[in-house]
Amino acid sequence: MKPMANFPPDDGSMEAQEPREDGSRPASGVEQSDLELVRRVQRGERGAFDLLVLRYQHKVVKLVARLLRDPTEAEDVAQEAFVKAYRALGSFRGDSAFYTWLYRIAVNTARNSMASRQRRPLDYETDLSESEQNAVASRMSHSDTPEASVLSEEIHQTVNEAVSGLPEDLRTAIILREIEGLSYEEIAAAMDCPVGTVRSRIFRAREAIDRSLKPLLD
Amino acid sequence: MTDRIREQMSALLDGELPQDEVGLLVRRLERDAALRQAFGHYVLAGEVLRSPGGPLASAGFAAAVSAAIDEAPAQADRVRPDAHAAGRWWSKPAFATAVAATAAIFAVLIVQTRVQPPASIAASALRQAQQAFAGPPVVHSSSPTAASSQRLAGYLMAHSQFASPIGRRNVWSGVLAADPSISRVSYESAGTP
Repeated sequence: MKPMANFPPDDGSMEAQEPREDGSRPASGVEQSDLELVRRVQRGERGAFDLLVLRYQHKVVKLVARLLRDPTEAEDVAQEAFVKAYRALGSFRGDSAFYTWLYRIAVNTARNSMASRQRRPLDYETDLSESEQNAVASRMSHSDTPEASVLSEEIHQTVNEAVSGLPEDLRTAIILREIEGLSYEEIAAAMDCPVGTVRSRIFRAREAIDRSLKPLLD
Repeated sequence: MTDRIREQMSALLDGELPQDEVGLLVRRLERDAALRQAFGHYVLAGEVLRSPGGPLASAGFAAAVSAAIDEAPAQADRVRPDAHAAGRWWSKPAFATAVAATAAIFAVLIVQTRVQPPASIAASALRQAQQAFAGPPVVHSSSPTAASSQRLAGYLMAHSQFASPIGRRNVWSGVLAADPSISRVSYESAGTP
């Protein structure tokens, strides 16, 4: 599969892996976890796909928003990409990472959307009736409304403040995991503590951030 | 919802949850909306830390995707491993079997053409011997001479090394039975292995 050079996963997992002797990159824990979830979807466990959507929704929405000239459709197109991925998941063999495969679907869906939009006789810039304006408004993704922008800023600020307020051991663990993309074993080596402790610290850091986010999101 | 389950969820997000714990957790997540929401918050926090700025999926995005999948059951509600290849006639089992059988037949024919097996050589020799003995009925009305029988015996001796023991025995039985004038040919004396 052609590498998605323009859209590397920004979870840092790529950088954390040493290449194999044959030049290929060993599958990260996240990739293996994705594959496990994919296998479960293929066996009929629909809930596993919901987790994949939760895991990649922000990445795909961001990617599609960058690709579309009109980002107001980002969520619609991203949703379509996920639905297509679900329908095609039976053919996914695991030759590449799931996110690479998903990103390819998202890119193709965005391209198709742009192509079909170019064929539309009516442009959003022209005069619209009230019902048409409502239709356009309903098509606007949540992330493009002013309220959403404010919320997004608040979320960023809240998360950063929550991380800053964490005890040092929790803060170090969550930063090494989320920003540096290290595995638990690598974090354990870096922090000179057992892997189980790393797992617990990361969990407690996430819980603390979640407590800060809840008032905003619920 | 216990901390243990949420810690498992955190480990799952990082790809660090043991495989034997994944199934139970996935099923629990499937029926527990609050747990799924917490999972979404974990993802969101990581996303914000990694790449500040840029659009984020709205809170109801995952639910909208799930609903969109549910709304189109007629098209592909169930994921089938072979769904993608279902329409391809060349991927159907019957066609694949036919191709395999054809290939096998060709392989056998090619091998037979290039390397005739010893048993075939023996059978061929036997046919030639029988033809030599029988001959065209119009041209040769009499039985073969002792000289022709000796030539045949020599031919068989020369070629019998390619025949399997059973094949050799059958060839010799046929030849000896066909011509009583050949009293005995020592197998060992021909220097065969």
